[in-house]
Amino acid sequence: MDELNYKTLEQIPIPEGLEERLSKKIDEWEQAERVQKAQRRHLLPRSLRYTAVAASMALVFGMGYHYFGQDEQANLAEQDTYQDPVLAQQEAERALNLLAANLNKGVGHLEKAKVLSDKAENTLNKQLKALK
Amino acid sequence: MMKRKMIKALLCLMVAMASLTANAQVKAFEKYADMKHVSYVYISKYMLGMAGKSAAPSVPGVDMKSMASKLTGIQIISSEDKSARAKLKSDVKDILAQDKYDVLMQIREDGSKVDIYYRVDKQQSVVVMVVDDDGEATVMVFSGTFTMDDVMKMAK
Repeated sequence: MDELNYKTLEQIPIPEGLEERLSKKIDEWEQAERVQKAQRRHLLPRSLRYTAVAASMALVFGMGYHYFGQDEQANLAEQDTYQDPVLAQQEAERALNLLAANLNKGVGHLEKAKVLSDKAENTLNKQLKALK
Repeated sequence: MMKRKMIKALLCLMVAMASLTANAQVKAFEKYADMKHVSYVYISKYMLGMAGKSAAPSVPGVDMKSMASKLTGIQIISSEDKSARAKLKSDVKDILAQDKYDVLMQIREDGSKVDIYYRVDKQQSVVVMVVDDDGEATVMVFSGTFTMDDVMKMAK
């Protein structure tokens, strides 16, 4: 069927100059497309390039300001007070011990209070039983 | 494609900056680093890590190693100067109120006052201990990724 159609099509006479005209038209389209692509390539990346440069500069300045623009006081604070790990260890231990000791004190008072409260509850229960 | 790469790079940068901030000490107390008549000590996570490796617990029953591994920093601020002490205490009160710390404990014993405050956060938990004793005020700031259970484990 396809072969038959192809043969029939081959038999149709082609108007004179049609091939040249079509070829010329295709060339024109191709040329127009190339120009469009070139324009797109020039316009879009350039605008993007400026935005990227501006964003990078803003990022670099922002980071620079954040890390290096802080006052001396903050830089001082960022440094470890002790360069000697043994001294740092002793100070850290002292701090943790003090925290633990105070936590224990607080919990100890709480336990004392609980014992007192339990005693009072027992006495009250005894009295109530005696009344019954 | 380019846009995706830029977004990825920005996200990586944000994560890196966030992790740097998370490891840092409590910023609000940094101003005492260079204040007259006030001593300021900062022990970093690195130094605490070293302490955790070699330190033997000096309080029986207290697990110092696990607490030290969860700490990201300790700040110790102290002063014996009367006016500096007053300013320190008032400043700390403001910081605690502003950053919404809760009271954990208040101990009044033999003329000494100890207040312990805490703030638990996913990124950074903080315990602040304020000791006002014998003409010296000391503020200890413990920051890290610990929970209140970890803190209470320190109490025997």
